[in-house]
Amino acid sequence: MKITGYEESRERCAESGWFAYDILLEEPLTREDIVLFRPLGGFLFLSMLKQPFFKVEQDSFVIKGVQGNAHFRLAMHQDECEKIEEWIERFRCLGE
Amino acid sequence: MIYLNQAATSYPKPPGVLEAVQACLKEPPAAQFRGGISAGKRDGTGICREKLGELLGMADTERIIFTSGATEALNQLIGGLDYQGGRILTTQTEHNSVLRPLKNLEKTRNLPQEIIPCTADGTILPETVREYAADGAKVLFINHCSNVTGRVQDLKTIVQICHERGILVIADLSQSAGCVPVHVDEWELDGVVFTGHKSLFGMRGTGGYYLRKGIPLMPLKFGGTGRNSSQIEYADDFEYEVGTQNQPGIESLRAGVEFILEQGIGNVVKKEQRLIRKLFLGLKEIPGVRVYGGVPDEDFGEQASACVQGPALSFRINGLTPSDTAYILQNSYGILVRTGLHCAPLIHRAMGTEKYGTVRISVSYLNEEAEIELLLDAVREIAGAVNR
Repeated sequence: MKITGYEESRERCAESGWFAYDILLEEPLTREDIVLFRPLGGFLFLSMLKQPFFKVEQDSFVIKGVQGNAHFRLAMHQDECEKIEEWIERFRCLGE
Repeated sequence: MIYLNQAATSYPKPPGVLEAVQACLKEPPAAQFRGGISAGKRDGTGICREKLGELLGMADTERIIFTSGATEALNQLIGGLDYQGGRILTTQTEHNSVLRPLKNLEKTRNLPQEIIPCTADGTILPETVREYAADGAKVLFINHCSNVTGRVQDLKTIVQICHERGILVIADLSQSAGCVPVHVDEWELDGVVFTGHKSLFGMRGTGGYYLRKGIPLMPLKFGGTGRNSSQIEYADDFEYEVGTQNQPGIESLRAGVEFILEQGIGNVVKKEQRLIRKLFLGLKEIPGVRVYGGVPDEDFGEQASACVQGPALSFRINGLTPSDTAYILQNSYGILVRTGLHCAPLIHRAMGTEKYGTVRISVSYLNEEAEIELLLDAVREIAGAVNR
């Protein structure tokens, strides 16, 4: 899973009370990529959907994405936003 | 891509709307009162006022004032009316474009306000209005059609109740103009606010208001109009459209309203009601799905009294936040919907959805039944995956 960048989500109303970033990837997410997120928090994986959906949740963040898309979303509370670069680094190290 | 977020901004627009904007931008601008090249040319702004009057049942179309949208129009009316120290009434279904200016007014001018509660589906019952419309209330600001549940209020009855007590009624038609029958004069509304970019099919950045003659209004904005330029202080002959107007936007709105009039508002309503009925009944059948809104009658006609449901409703899937549902719909199925509180936070307290909000589906005359079927298939699949 190679991260090429990130951008603030344009859907400001979608994550009510949260600040969301879309993390951009070089390649579409695979099922193997998704499994790497599992240790980060409460894990939901709807594998039977046409394009499976996953979500990892803790009190201070939510990560969600869809298998086959070359991006996923990270949502945080406003006071956590300064940690975005730390998160990107953490994602880069997943599975290492 | 399937677009079911029409209550935010309508898409696509009728071809005539795009052509009207292009034609306007191609022509030399004929500024209002400011130059000689407008002689003999058609007055697009005047035609737009006339067409709006025809659609919304307003005879005195010169009193339609164009703004950048409903938010500016509401700020103008809320900030410019004379409340004579009396109470202001509003409802639990309002959008933040009403609630926030009112809250500001409460803070800056210390004007007492009361919020009339709604039912769990977003209906304002006339008997509840009667309870709140006691002595001392001056103005009621009321949303005609909820942008969350799509419920349409019985404005005719509510106006009667308020007028018996000397209360003015200003209706927010943002979600009803162009998709629900409106009869401003017949219902004796004192003022209305509309936006151009939803069911009226105009561009974003268009809208306006109408205020019945004889109701004093202080302008929100002052500036050049091209008329009486030597006069820099008004007596009471205020002008409300100041600065250079958004002519391409007004032309787009004119073309959008003309499209609705050509199709016939009755036909627009019938088609949208058919889509919403299919949506409501389809969602209701899916285990694990809760619907917020109502179902239109099968044989709904053009009678305003029969129209209790506009072209929007909300739902939730048990076990998923609305945000997750909308994310899956968009990213797995290419279906664009709206999620969250929809800028109308108070109605969610009545619905019990104040924490996460809802997923909102909203349709336009240009949506098709096949799109509703694809949405229902997708929701069925998602709900089945979560609740199996």
